[in-house]
Amino acid sequence: MVVRVSTGRALLAATLGVGMAVTAQAASYPDIGPLPQLKVDKAKAELGKRLFFDVRLSGDAGISCADCHVPEKAYASKEALSPGYPGNGHFRNASSLVNTAHKNIWNWDGRIGTNLNDMTREMITEDYIMNMDMRIMQERLKQDPLYVKMFKDAGYGEPSNGSVRKAIPEYLKTLTSTGSPFDKGTMSASAKRGMKLFKGKAGCIQCHNGPLLSDLKPHNTGVPENFDVFLDPMNHQAFMAFTMFQGVPDYRNLKRDPGYFNVTLEKQDMGKFITPSLRELKYSAPYMHNGMIKTLSEVVGFYNAGGGKDRNKSKKLKPLGLSANEQKDLVAFLEALSGDPLTSPKYVWDQPYPAEYPVIENWTQVRN
Amino acid sequence: MSIKKIAPTLVAVAVATVLTACQAQETKTGSAVSGKSMAAKTAQSGPPPLAPLGAPPIPPDNKQTPAKIELGKILFFDPRLGGDASTGCSTCHEPDQGWAWAEDFSRGYPGTVHWRNSQTIINSAYYARNFWAGSVPSLEKQAPSAAKGGVAGNGENDIMESRLALIPGYRKRFKEVFGTEWPLIGDAWRAIAAFERTLVQRDTPLDKYLLGDKNALTEQQVQGMALFNGKAGCIQCHNGELASDQDYYNIGVPPNKRWEEDGLAQVTFRFELYAKGMTEEGYRTTKADPGFYFRGKNTWDKGKFRTPSLRYTAFTAPYMHNGIFYTMEDVVDFYNRGGFDEDGRTTAFAENKSKLIKPLGLTDEEKENLVAFLEAFSGEEMLMEKPAMPEYAPLFTRAELEAAQEEK
Ligand code: HEC
Ligand code: HEC
Ligand code: HEC
Ligand code: HEC
Repeated sequence: MVVRVSTGRALLAATLGVGMAVTAQAASYPDIGPLPQLKVDKAKAELGKRLFFDVRLSGDAGISCADCHVPEKAYASKEALSPGYPGNGHFRNASSLVNTAHKNIWNWDGRIGTNLNDMTREMITEDYIMNMDMRIMQERLKQDPLYVKMFKDAGYGEPSNGSVRKAIPEYLKTLTSTGSPFDKGTMSASAKRGMKLFKGKAGCIQCHNGPLLSDLKPHNTGVPENFDVFLDPMNHQAFMAFTMFQGVPDYRNLKRDPGYFNVTLEKQDMGKFITPSLRELKYSAPYMHNGMIKTLSEVVGFYNAGGGKDRNKSKKLKPLGLSANEQKDLVAFLEALSGDPLTSPKYVWDQPYPAEYPVIENWTQVRN
Repeated sequence: MSIKKIAPTLVAVAVATVLTACQAQETKTGSAVSGKSMAAKTAQSGPPPLAPLGAPPIPPDNKQTPAKIELGKILFFDPRLGGDASTGCSTCHEPDQGWAWAEDFSRGYPGTVHWRNSQTIINSAYYARNFWAGSVPSLEKQAPSAAKGGVAGNGENDIMESRLALIPGYRKRFKEVFGTEWPLIGDAWRAIAAFERTLVQRDTPLDKYLLGDKNALTEQQVQGMALFNGKAGCIQCHNGELASDQDYYNIGVPPNKRWEEDGLAQVTFRFELYAKGMTEEGYRTTKADPGFYFRGKNTWDKGKFRTPSLRYTAFTAPYMHNGIFYTMEDVVDFYNRGGFDEDGRTTAFAENKSKLIKPLGLTDEEKENLVAFLEAFSGEEMLMEKPAMPEYAPLFTRAELEAAQEEK
C-alpha cells in the first residue's frame, strides 16, 4: 500500500526539511525490529539507580525522578499530566524512560538534542521539576557514606555534579525493552495482521519506524489541548515559567502547548511533537504529550479519523477507513510491542535511604 | 535547556569583581557610605555619640506610598515567593521571633539548614549594606538574593513571576502601584523593600532619654551607659544613631560547634564555601565562616562581620552571625574576657582579631549595669498579624480555551 501525496506537496515538505519520504513505499522506511543491546557499566548503573530513586536530588528533598517516572508505568507518569515540583504542577505527561537511551532527541518538544547528561541536568535543575541547586546536591551526596563508596567504586572519585550526570544516564541504559511478543516472534495472528496494517493501509510506519518505532522527528497530529494545563493555576504557572524561559512571544496569553515551536520559534513548528516510541504502551497510558487519549483503541480511533483538528496538521494524516476488526488488529499489534515490566530490584532501588545525614566525625581535622 | 542554575554563578563572579573594586575604595578613604564612621578609630575626635534614631533613608527611585507598602507587606508574608511555596520572607523573619528566627542557625529551605543567624528586619532600612557580611548594597537587592538562595527561598524568577500573574489580587495591586499590566518580579522586591522601611523603631527608652526625658532610663541603666561609652569601649564600634558604625571587624566570635555535630549543617557549610567561590584549597581546609573575606578575598578580612545595631536586640536572641550566645549576659561575658567564650574559645582566624577587643575587667555589678543599659535599645515588641493572602484563579475560562481550540 502506497501512501499517496501529490508531487507538489512532497517538494514543499522537502523544503521544510521534514517528510522527505512522504511518497515512498512503506518498505523504504527504516524497518521496525529488535533494539540493539547497550553495553552497561554495572557499578555506574547501580549508582545511577540509587540516585534515580533518591528524593535528596530535589531542592526540598521532596521528590525523586521516580515520583514522576513511575516504574510500574514504564517510567512515565501515572496521570495525564505529570506531577510537578512541590508548589507547582506540570503541563505535560512525563515521557516513558524505557528505551530513552536509544534516542538522540529528548522531551515531547525535542528541546534537548545533545545527550542524556544534559537531559539529567535539565530535570534536576529546572525550577518546576526538581529545583535543585546542584552545588547543594553535591554536598548532600558527600555527606552519605554509601554514596562516597559507590562513586569511588564506579571510578568517579568523590561525589560530584558531573558524575551524577554520567551515572544516571548509565542507569537509564538498563531501561531497555525486553521480552515483547514482537521481539520474541510470538505475536498472535491478530497482532500480525495489525503489523501489516501498521506498515501499510494505516500508514503508521511513516513516522513510527525503526527499532524504536519512532523517526524521532517533530510532527503535528492535532492532539487536542488538555484544558487542565490552563484551568489549574498550579499547572499553568509551570507552563508559564517554561514558555517564558523558552522565549515564546506573548507566553502569558498562550492557550496551547507550542511544542517544537519552543525550539525553533518558527510558525510552521507550532503544535509539533517528537514522534514517541511505541514500545511499552501497555503500561504507559494515558497517551500523547498531554495524556489526552486514554486507551489504545481510542488512539487508533483518533488516527482512523485522520488525526485531530489543526491547520498545521501533518499531511501524512488522512482518514484511514479502517474497519472495526482492522482497528482491533492494530491495537493487538501495539500491545504486542510491550515486554516484561522493568520493576524488579534489578531496575528499582528498593533499599531504604538514611533518614538523616550522618555527621562527619573529627570534622575540624579532616579535609572537606 | 536550562542554564538558570549556572547563570547566577557567573553573575556572582561579576558582582564580586565590582564589590572588590568598591571595597578597595572603602579601605582607602574610610567610606563613601553615609552613616559609617572612620572617626571611631581616631582617638582625637572620638566615635560619634549614641543619638536618637532619625527617619530611614528612602531611595529616590523607590518612593514610599501606602499602596506599595501594603503590597510589600502581603508579599513579605507570602511563601509563594520561594521555590516550593513553603518558605517566604516571614518564614525566617517571624514577627514574634523578633522578625528573625530564634535558633542559632536560621531554619533553612526545606531539606536544608542555614549557616548563619537570621537577622531582624527591624531597622534593616538604615544599613548601607545588608547581611552579616554586607554582601548586598540595598534592600531592593537583598530581597531577590534571599528569595533565590539555595538554603533560603530557593525560588527562581520565572516561576515566582508566573505565580504572581495567576493571582488576580496581585495583578490588580501591581497595576495600581507600578502601572504594569502584569506583575514584574523586580517590582515585588521594590514593594518588599518599601514595606521593610516601615519596620523601624525610634521610640526606645534610649531615644526618649537622648531627646531629653531623663526618666526614660533607670539609674542602673545610666551607669551602664557610662560603661558602654567608657570602660567597656562598646561605643568604639556601636555608635551613632544606629549603634553601629557599619564597619567590619573580627571580634573573636568562635565557630558554632554545630558544624562538628550536625551532618545537615556540614552540608550547608561546604555548599556556602563552594557557592561563594573559595579556592579549591580554601574549600578543603576552611572550618569557620570567613565572613567579610568573601567580599574581596583578602585573607586579613577572614572572620570579620558587620557591626550590628544593638537596637531591638531584646527580641532577637540568639546573638552574633552564628547565634552562639543566647543571652546578653553571655555576650557581655564574652567581651569582658577579651573575645573568648566560657571554654576559652575564640575566632578561628585569631590573626585578624580586632585590637579593640581586649579584657575589660568589669565587675559583676558593672556587667549587670551594662546588660541593663543594653535593654534600653529596645522599645515595645513590634508584632503584626499575617495579612490575608490573595488566591490563585485560572487566567482563562473554559469557553476561551474552547474558542482557541476551534481556531487551531
Ligand atoms: C516533577 C516530575 C519529574 C521529575 C521529578 C523528573 N522528570 Fe523527567 N520528565 C518529566 C516530564 C513531564 C518530562 C517530559 C518533559 C517535556 O516533554 O517537556 C520528562 C522527560 C524526561 C526525559 C526525556 C525522555 C524522552 O525520551 O524524551 C528524561 C530522560 C527524563 N525525564 C529523565 C529524568 C531523570 C533522570 C530525572 C531525575 C533526575 C527526572 N526525569 C525527574 C517529569 C519529571
Ligand atoms: C505524521 C506522523 C505520524 C503518523 C503517521 C502516526 N503517528 Fe502516532 N504519533 C505521532 C506523534 C508526533 C505523536 C505524539 C503526538 C502528541 O503527543 O501530541 C504520536 C503518538 C502516538 C501514540 C501515543 C504514544 C505515547 O507514548 O503516548 C500512539 C499509540 C501512536 N502515535 C500510534 C500511531 C498509530 C497506530 C499510527 C497509525 C495509525 C500512528 N501513530 C501514525 C506521529 C505519527
Ligand atoms: C530560610 C530563611 C530565610 C528566608 C526565607 C529569608 N531570610 Fe532574610 N535572612 C536570613 C538569614 C539567615 C539572614 C542573614 C544571612 C547572611 O548574612 O548571610 C537574613 C538576612 C536578611 C536581611 C538583612 C538584614 C540586615 O541587617 O542587613 C534582610 C533585610 C532580610 N533577610 C530580608 C528578607 C526578605 C525580604 C526575604 C524574602 C524575600 C527573606 N529575608 C527571606 C534568613 C532568611
Ligand atoms: C571592635 C568593634 C566592636 C566593639 C568594641 C564591640 N562590638 Fe559588639 N559587635 C561587633 C561586631 C562586628 C559584632 C558582630 C560579630 C559577629 O557576629 O561575629 C558585634 C556583635 C554584638 C552583639 C550581637 C548583636 C546581634 O544582633 O547579634 C552585641 C549584643 C554586642 N556586639 C554588644 C557589644 C557590647 C556590649 C560591647 C562592649 C562591651 C561591644 N559590643 C563592643 C563589634 C564590636
